[in-house]
Amino acid sequence: MQTFPLTLVAGPPGAGKTTWIRQQLDGAERFAYLNLGADAVRIDATYLAAEVPELVVWSSWLPELADFTKYQTYIELDFHIDLGSLVLPTEFADCHRVAVLPPGIRQTEWHDWADVIVTGTETRVPLQPPQLWRSLLTGQVLDFASLTTVWDELINGAYGHVQRAKGIFEVTDGRSLYFDFVAGDPEPTSTELDLPRWLEGRPNRFSGVEVVGEQLDETAIAQTLKDCCLDDRTLAYYQQQVREFLEDG
Amino acid sequence: MKIAVISCIHGNYEALNEVLLDIDRHQVEQIYCLGDLVGYGPYPNAVVEMIRSLDIPTCQGCWDEDVVEGLNACECSYPSLLAEKRGRLAHEWTNQEIHPETRSFLAQLPLSLRDGNLCFVHGSPHSQHEYMLPDMHAFTAMERVLATGADTLFCGHTHIPYVRQLESGQLQVRVSSGQSSQRPNQQTSNFSAPLKRIVNAGSVGEPRHGRTNATYVLYDAETEQVTLREVEYDYQKTCAAIVEKGLPSIFAWRLARGLEFAERADDPTHVCER
Amino acid sequence: MVIWAILSGIEGNLAAYEAVLADIKRQRQPVEELYILGDIIAATPASANVIQRIRSPRDHEPEPQVCRGWWEEQLLILHGSGRTGEPTELIEYYGAEQVKALWDAIPRSTVNWIQSLDFGFFELDCLLIHGSTVSVSDELTPNTPPIQMLDRLMRMDANYLFCGRSGLTFQYEIQQGSITSSVTTLDHTAPPQATLVKPRQVIGVGNVGRIPGQATYTLYNPYANQVEFRTVRYGPRKGFQSI
Ligand SMILES: [Zn+2]
Ligand SMILES: [Zn+2]
Repeated sequence: MQTFPLTLVAGPPGAGKTTWIRQQLDGAERFAYLNLGADAVRIDATYLAAEVPELVVWSSWLPELADFTKYQTYIELDFHIDLGSLVLPTEFADCHRVAVLPPGIRQTEWHDWADVIVTGTETRVPLQPPQLWRSLLTGQVLDFASLTTVWDELINGAYGHVQRAKGIFEVTDGRSLYFDFVAGDPEPTSTELDLPRWLEGRPNRFSGVEVVGEQLDETAIAQTLKDCCLDDRTLAYYQQQVREFLEDG
Repeated sequence: MKIAVISCIHGNYEALNEVLLDIDRHQVEQIYCLGDLVGYGPYPNAVVEMIRSLDIPTCQGCWDEDVVEGLNACECSYPSLLAEKRGRLAHEWTNQEIHPETRSFLAQLPLSLRDGNLCFVHGSPHSQHEYMLPDMHAFTAMERVLATGADTLFCGHTHIPYVRQLESGQLQVRVSSGQSSQRPNQQTSNFSAPLKRIVNAGSVGEPRHGRTNATYVLYDAETEQVTLREVEYDYQKTCAAIVEKGLPSIFAWRLARGLEFAERADDPTHVCER
Repeated sequence: MVIWAILSGIEGNLAAYEAVLADIKRQRQPVEELYILGDIIAATPASANVIQRIRSPRDHEPEPQVCRGWWEEQLLILHGSGRTGEPTELIEYYGAEQVKALWDAIPRSTVNWIQSLDFGFFELDCLLIHGSTVSVSDELTPNTPPIQMLDRLMRMDANYLFCGRSGLTFQYEIQQGSITSSVTTLDHTAPPQATLVKPRQVIGVGNVGRIPGQATYTLYNPYANQVEFRTVRYGPRKGFQSI
């Protein structure tokens, strides 16, 4: 039976799965990535693709089996996928299993499952699967000042206790921004993805948000994000302003 | 003579009550109020009633004006889309909540008050909506004080109290006038501006300095001393009332952090021309 | 070499405007931009001819760039699209009968065009506007206090402000200035800080049509920062309409 150069990566939210994969990709070639369980909200995949342009990103299960022979593939397993009931093609039986876990934890189902344990970031995320809320925002453009306000409120507990939040947002000036927060991390990050500015109409590329926590007021988060989004007329107006500004140099 | 200046109560009755008690402890002869009695907070009628029954001279704030005149603020007077949507919610709620007497009291408020060499306004002497932030260009700030003819200008609207002293202002100017530049009538002159002060009274009901305490100022006319006061009050009560009365709960969340953002434009001197 | 001609206050006086255009044509350095800082009309029927002339420049004439003036603002108020509801200033300065005169003088068909005019222009470091950054009615003169002049310049961060409300030609230079400021907040006291002022100017561009027989306007070289005031005398020839 043929074997595949395949690595499965699992771990709790915020432990650093995507960051670890990102590190493996440095300097290498012919890598592919697939996020299992993220459905339409492909935040990690979009982030990695922007960071590592050569990376092949498979957006849906399954590519042709033959494809797995061509690439060194990393499959990130979303934390809410139950490892015990995960059924993979038999060809994947001897793949490499990596668990990225916060320091100091022992005897979890990840320990039983993994070949290798990688010590990731300290998180205050409990190991019990908490509440997960996701929203696809593709096509929506947010006003930057509103976005920073709502993000600040979100990670500081205005809409429930948030342990992990990440998102890719399109903002008025055409940039695509990546926001990342893990409870206990003193400095939440936000970076600009290395993508061309989208200045004509609604962006036809992925954006979305994922929040993990407890007692999340999902309706309020959704409504507040909606209140940050530009309508067609306003969007067209600002896009034109930005285009003119950029042309004037 | 000692005076107290309060501003931006924004329907926060608990905070107003506590501030008035604090003022009582300082043997103050006169209280002035710089407006924004309503907006965002749960008790607009009670606040107006209190100010009215105590006969506190008050000038009209931006929220008082908007409630009376109808909201005609343009989107550019909000720092963000989100702030605008929330501002509109607060406006609509307040508009429904206030009694006719409250509305007519707000309508008759003057834009500025004068007491000797002191002048009192909400935003700036030019507009209730202009922000005199502490880092406003010093000459612009000086122009605002000179426009009133007073020596000390009291303002509010930014929700963060400060005292600013402006001194040794001088400008050298050359003016040529006349029909032809060949034979100009040219004159060079020097202008010096006297010492002036701007005192921002902060906010009683929607502090924005990062703590939950209400803020106001005391002024001693003899010594010309200004004291910025910070007063603790039971903000939890106001927060509970915000939620109970059906205002968005995010207002309570921000109030509990001293982060209320009633209004704050990106370009503070911008006044919409629409 | 680029030269701008900047004028204001034609006030419906076509002969005066023609005289200025002729003077512009006679300049040794060709004039590339023509800015008209409002008040092209007044409450006179002849105003319609001025609008017509401005909107159809002849060959080799620069395309005029026109902004809104006090008279245009009054007209728009009458048509319900000004920035205030009542023509209070018009009545105060010219009397109630001028309301009807202005309404009758300007054809409805040109109101849309007037409404489309800009409030002012910002080119390089120059602001070109009828009154000031405050309003079309704001009248800056050689006697305006310097701090007020500085405020008007700083509102748009312009180094040069060209205006026409006063009708006067003047050059008002703020050569230098300084002020000391100290701020105390709840949490700290900042030491006094000196703020310096860089040189800036307000230029009154004159008035074309108000005084019969004599028009004033301004030529400006934006790269050499050179201002020249022009006075043009003209006679009551064919086509002249008294105002
Ligand atoms: Zn206020
Ligand atoms: Zn205000």
